[in-house]
Amino acid sequence: MSQLPAFPGSDSDPAPGRSPGQPVTPPGDMTGWHRLHPLSPLVRSGRHFTSLVILLVILVVVNGRKSGGGEFISEGVVIFVVLVAGIINWAVTRWRVDAGVLFIETGLIRRQSLRFPLSQVQAIDVVQTGLARALGLASIQLRMAGADSSKARLIALRRADAVKLRSDLLSLAKTTKTSPATSASRTTRAPVAATPAEVQADERVLFRVQPGRLVGGLLLSITGVILAVIIAAVVVIAVAVHSTAASGIYLPFLIGAIFGVWRQFNGEYGTVVALAPDGLRLRSGLIQTTAETIRPGRVQAVRLVEPLVWRWLGWGRLEVDVAGSRQRRENRSEAKRWRALVPVGNRAEAERMLAELVTDPPRPTARPPASTRWKAPLNYHFLAFGGDDHYAVASRGRLRRTTTWIPLEKVQSVRWVQGPVQRRLGLASVKLDVAGKRVTAAATDRTVAEAAELLTRLPAQARAARHPLKRAPASGQPIPR
Amino acid sequence: MTAGDTGLRPDTGDDSLHWQRPSPRLLRARRIQVAAGTLPIAAVGGLIGGLAGSAVIGLIVALALVAAGLVGEWFVARRVAAWSYAERGDDLMVRRGVLIRRQSVVPYGRMQFIDVTAGPVERSLGLATVRMHTAAAASDARIPGLERAEASRLRDQLAQLGESQAAGL
Repeated sequence: MSQLPAFPGSDSDPAPGRSPGQPVTPPGDMTGWHRLHPLSPLVRSGRHFTSLVILLVILVVVNGRKSGGGEFISEGVVIFVVLVAGIINWAVTRWRVDAGVLFIETGLIRRQSLRFPLSQVQAIDVVQTGLARALGLASIQLRMAGADSSKARLIALRRADAVKLRSDLLSLAKTTKTSPATSASRTTRAPVAATPAEVQADERVLFRVQPGRLVGGLLLSITGVILAVIIAAVVVIAVAVHSTAASGIYLPFLIGAIFGVWRQFNGEYGTVVALAPDGLRLRSGLIQTTAETIRPGRVQAVRLVEPLVWRWLGWGRLEVDVAGSRQRRENRSEAKRWRALVPVGNRAEAERMLAELVTDPPRPTARPPASTRWKAPLNYHFLAFGGDDHYAVASRGRLRRTTTWIPLEKVQSVRWVQGPVQRRLGLASVKLDVAGKRVTAAATDRTVAEAAELLTRLPAQARAARHPLKRAPASGQPIPR
Repeated sequence: MTAGDTGLRPDTGDDSLHWQRPSPRLLRARRIQVAAGTLPIAAVGGLIGGLAGSAVIGLIVALALVAAGLVGEWFVARRVAAWSYAERGDDLMVRRGVLIRRQSVVPYGRMQFIDVTAGPVERSLGLATVRMHTAAAASDARIPGLERAEASRLRDQLAQLGESQAAGL
């Protein structure tokens, strides 16, 4: 591979940071600078590029008959610019691994030299978008502890290279273990670049989603309802106005809704969850496949979501909130950090998965006092709280029942909140926060006395759960079941 | 106990708890902020009223806006009185709020970082706001209006305790 010219701020010496006592000799020739695969611009801008082309085709088809193709020059220019930018980006990007550190250099005008110590790696994913799969390419995504990992990725390499690099990086991450806090067992050894259906030798499959049920569940969920409402609106308007053009205004909404349904279906199709020595291995995806390993100790919260119609069918959706994986998909908002282990399954499947994540899961059995009816007439129906020495559990929601389990050792803070209406009724809420945005299990609307008791006991229990050796103060009685 | 304590506060079962209050100058800082907001609005409102209608209407509008500012001052005074904090062995407790009352318990070991901020008004009165951040966005441990010396003492104290009890994620 040809050496790139030395950029300002970069060091062309192949091993500048290597300390003399470093026992690691990276396998292969990873110490030299490498480029990404020449087709990586296509993969990198794949989604945007594809949507641009589709948009252009639609525009041509809709308007093309009336006027000539001359007015699409601007779109052509946009596509051309996107491609050229991608090629330049490829030309100025290079990476190497040395002394247990992954170096990535990128940027033409604003040159960036990125440095990712492999000892800080939480997990390494191999991601294949649909386009990448067609081209036989794959991307490497590193997940770093705490930090923003969105730049710690290599798009794209040959699939075989990516798989090999991943295992090399993982073995390096293990040998260059510097801090005991990020032990080598935190890194994952997920079997990637396998289609979701393939099963590795050392795993036991816990759950496999049924495609039919996934479609049914999607259509019977709120996403499906929105889609139905939009379709109904389009049809009604078309019939009422007697022209299809009038309903054309709603076409963007329809496309958006279909795209939303499709994205969820694509992301959750073929979900397989398997138990392996290093944790739960999760693989999913129809066109874009992803694989990740969830270590039991990294689960911040587990929740069971049961929308109205699903409850009639005995279905549920089990999701986990995992610390550190929030940047995994770049175009997903941070609020959507919940990862579905059971996208849709029956009660037994959800319970089995729950038992795998939460040892001896407690049930939310402590009901709020009857006066809560006045404050929350609908929510009251499923409002409950419970827990034991290791977990707190809360359920809420009338149409969409949501039950959240939180390990007490993950609790970041405890809050006691009392609004004016609650004060009139002699109620108060106690909330348990875990890492992330608005991930909370709340003992909503308890009596003032009970809330005060919870506020005393929960921090002590959380402390005892964090430091199992340190005895909790006298208030160790279990939470009322 | 503190002025903001009305008996409806949760009893944490620990009477030895030493609840501390922000500096009395916090009230002055908040009053200045309310006045700085109210008076220009009242002046502009009065001017518009006076130009559009008569001088009497302008005066009435201005006085009404000043009265609204006084009501705001009453709210602010109660809010300031409700704020208190206690350092316990393993966690920091912060109470605040009048209409919606809150009490947070944040273990020192969960602390990610602390910031000490001071706006122009706070700074001119020698005050600062200490805020303790955890990995949870909802965690809420903010103490405004601390004397500068107390703020830096609390910051160092929290940093030291946070380090010795660090629990990670």
